[in-house]
Amino acid sequence: MTNEHIIKHYLQPTSIFASDKTSIIQTILGSCVSVCLWDKKLHIGGMNHYMLPFWNGIGLATPKYGNIAIEKLIDKMISYGSLKKDIVAKVFGGGKIIMTSQNKTFQIGSQNVLLAFEMLKNEKIPIVSDNTGGDFGRKIQFHTNTGVVLHKYIENKPIFPTKTH
Amino acid sequence: MKALSDDELLEELKRRLSINHKTIKDCNDLIKQLVFTNKKLEESEKVISHFISNVTNEIINPFASILGLSNNIVLSKPNDIDKIKSMATLINSEAFNLDFQLNNIFIAAKLEAGEAIVDIYNVNIKDLVNSIIDSFKNEIKKKKLIINTEFLGAFKKNTNPNFKTDPNKVRVIIINLLSNAIKFSNDASEIEIKCSIDDDLFTISVKDHGIDIDKKDQKIIFDRFKRLDNSINDKNRGHGLGLSVSKSLLDILNGKIDVMSDNKLGTTFIATIPDNNSNNEIGDFSNTGNDFLFNDKEKF
Repeated sequence: MTNEHIIKHYLQPTSIFASDKTSIIQTILGSCVSVCLWDKKLHIGGMNHYMLPFWNGIGLATPKYGNIAIEKLIDKMISYGSLKKDIVAKVFGGGKIIMTSQNKTFQIGSQNVLLAFEMLKNEKIPIVSDNTGGDFGRKIQFHTNTGVVLHKYIENKPIFPTKTH
Repeated sequence: MKALSDDELLEELKRRLSINHKTIKDCNDLIKQLVFTNKKLEESEKVISHFISNVTNEIINPFASILGLSNNIVLSKPNDIDKIKSMATLINSEAFNLDFQLNNIFIAAKLEAGEAIVDIYNVNIKDLVNSIIDSFKNEIKKKKLIINTEFLGAFKKNTNPNFKTDPNKVRVIIINLLSNAIKFSNDASEIEIKCSIDDDLFTISVKDHGIDIDKKDQKIIFDRFKRLDNSINDKNRGHGLGLSVSKSLLDILNGKIDVMSDNKLGTTFIATIPDNNSNNEIGDFSNTGNDFLFNDKEKF
């Protein structure tokens, strides 16, 4: 294990990364949510980074949308030989970064988080830990050989100044 | 429990009824949404079967003609040079189209798998736009189109301003816009391309003088596999992927796309892409990912 080359991957928003090799996946989250899936038997893992809860049929069915991103990530884990019963999940992100309205329905972050919890429940994948919501962004780093996720808050500053949605 | 007077009882009943009304209204709204989603699903089912029949027309037929034509060239005599040239032109045009269609399919697959990675370079936009127009020169010649290109904003001060973005993605976006403009232009008409860089924002507008797009249709043209005219004919080639690929590529570049078409003078597509420097999405981290420093409390 010691000589094994560790893949370091910076996960861009709307993308997915999973590998059967030992990897460190890192990303930065605002109102986006990342689901980390870890196979406790094979010691492999993968992560997504989605921005909105549901695909609305416009554009391609990309993992920018939670319902697509979570499904695709599970598929990817299975393609690497994971069994669904061995997979556990950790969920991060969904901060209230864009100061829009007090109205809950406009808070993309909490909707994103809710979707992850609902979908993982339906897929019968247990969430072993999570850190979601709040008024801040997060940096996370997922070590796929141990399943450990390192997590740090980042100061409350507008993460998406150019974003319109 | 305290006894209610008749009036209070009536009030309470009224209140509960009004809650019920609201619940029923909410339910009706949800049902409406469900019906809408269902309709979309039905449509997408149709679209898939259409896609398969379309593949035959768009991929197998061009291959058949390429094979036929190249075979003719192999069998031709040396003094048939004019004939050979015209056959080679046809092969080139078919292969160009195939390459374009296949590229869109592969990019769509990559985007949908979440494997499209943004690779940022200093891009010479002017060269990029000109090279794309040049690659369409046969199609432009065939339809006798006139391409007017204008470079505004920062291009006026500096003839070759650089712009930080992902050149391959921007290339695909522009290729799709231009290809659509060429496809839907009437013969011997004009296509106007305007590029500008202002305040770290690159804008390209492509205007054709072909058919215009209804207001209600403007919402659905970015749906994947959506083509307003579903008939399989020569004017209407492609898979209906171009605009949805462009939209999704712009999504990952933090850009946007607008369409203007309400004056019976053709259609204008406007794509806007921010400079990668000005977008703080990844905060103080480089694209390749810096090291994070964590302490033990931050373990999950």
